[in-house]
Amino acid sequence: MKTLSLRNLGKTYFDPYAGAHVTAVHDVSLDVEPGEFISVVGPSGCGKTTILNMIAGFIPYSKGDILLDGKPVHGPGPERGVVFQSFALFPWKTVLDNVGFGPKMRGVPKAERDRIAHEYLALAGLSHAAHRYPNELSGGMQQRVGVVRALANNPDVLLMDEPFASVDAQTRMTLQEELTRIWQERKPTVIFITHDVPEAVFLANRVVVLSKGRVLDQVAIDLPRPRVWDDLVRDDQFKQLSARVLQMVRAA
Amino acid sequence: MNVLLQIWAGYARLTRRWPGIAAIIPFIPVLALWTAVSEAGLFPRAFFPGPADVIRAFFTLTYKGILPDYLQDSLIRLATGAAVGMALGIPLGILIGTSRWAHRICWPVLLFFQAIGDIAWLPILLIWFGFGLTTMTFVIVYTVLFPVVLNTVLGVESVPRDLSRAALSLGASRARVLWEVTLPGALPNIITGLRNGLGYGWRALIAVEMIVGTSGIGFMMFDARRAGSTVEIILGMIILGLLWYIVDAWILAPLERATGQRWGLVTS
Repeated sequence: MKTLSLRNLGKTYFDPYAGAHVTAVHDVSLDVEPGEFISVVGPSGCGKTTILNMIAGFIPYSKGDILLDGKPVHGPGPERGVVFQSFALFPWKTVLDNVGFGPKMRGVPKAERDRIAHEYLALAGLSHAAHRYPNELSGGMQQRVGVVRALANNPDVLLMDEPFASVDAQTRMTLQEELTRIWQERKPTVIFITHDVPEAVFLANRVVVLSKGRVLDQVAIDLPRPRVWDDLVRDDQFKQLSARVLQMVRAA
Repeated sequence: MNVLLQIWAGYARLTRRWPGIAAIIPFIPVLALWTAVSEAGLFPRAFFPGPADVIRAFFTLTYKGILPDYLQDSLIRLATGAAVGMALGIPLGILIGTSRWAHRICWPVLLFFQAIGDIAWLPILLIWFGFGLTTMTFVIVYTVLFPVVLNTVLGVESVPRDLSRAALSLGASRARVLWEVTLPGALPNIITGLRNGLGYGWRALIAVEMIVGTSGIGFMMFDARRAGSTVEIILGMIILGLLWYIVDAWILAPLERATGQRWGLVTS
């Protein structure tokens, strides 16, 4: 497990339609400790997805540094796993082969990567779906596959870009509870992008509030775990934290 | 009304049981009309033969071995042309689809040459290669190439960006992304391209065989014209239609469905 650091990170790009340079991310510095779960919230256009895409290496950054254990990172790599809002499962591969894809790229033999995939599918309660194709699964199940596919590759950091935004409300709550459970079992380092404040508070150890490409504030979330919605909806501390973060986001 | 509904229900049950029948039944009126016109004696027999004459010609030519030989020649030419066309078209399409530079350079050239129809090449091909296999293969390859290239480009560009990103984040190299993501993602479109290409190629082949051929179904039809044998010409036409129906409905369309629909890339 390694520390991820963002140092004065910035992103400026040329918008051909506006005919001008646009700064999506001004100056963001952030340290993420190993095993930490960070939620990043902010209004639309605050640069949160841009930051995640830079960390993932999908787009180059204009200034500053992204350091993983002190070493700068450029381009995508298996030490930074990504969970997509669009799920991004390979439609022509079974669930098992989707989850085994990362190990396959590392050159793990078939039998061993099937064992790994089965282990992670069991973690998400998906063992029965191993031999099905993604389009045969519900959205919630597809995203469970998306999460364990990223985890099965043992990344140093797990980057999640509004992963539960396109599933229905009830499924979303179940997925959030499952994610906290899996996080407690495996303790991966997670950066979770969302615009849903209760979701951010529910999941994280720390919520980072972004505004106009800058870090506005950070809030430590020391709610006890395991966290389940049935308890937290009535929990005063949860309500206070959510209200506080929501106020920041709305003022941002 | 009730009777019609019952007939329709019976037809629906029958075709669900034997789907092949659904393909044959629409031809019954066509065949009946043809028989009626030829039997009515409106035109001289030698001019407008009936189905029975054509069937007789089919058996005669099959018995003599001419028809099987010609059919084999035509099919081998088509298969060779299609294979070469795919071998050139798929890599070219992937290159153009993945590289912005290749797209900029190749696209205008591609459209330019697409506009020069296959047959328009014949005069110069005849001077260069003469009346032979090279000329024929060139035309087939040329015809198959464009639909394959254009559809491959379309397929490559239609693969969601997140899929390549996901593969890269899981540790795939660019080459692996090509093999594991781009190619399977583009496959349904590639098969559509092949399906179109073979359709055009089949038609082009017949035209070329008429002009440069020494064998093949197209040659048979054109040669029959010299002998004034309308029966053989019509037989050739029927074979063209039948053969394409078999190739398309029994091989290509199921292949297209098998990839696209299974993966949920195409909604049926």
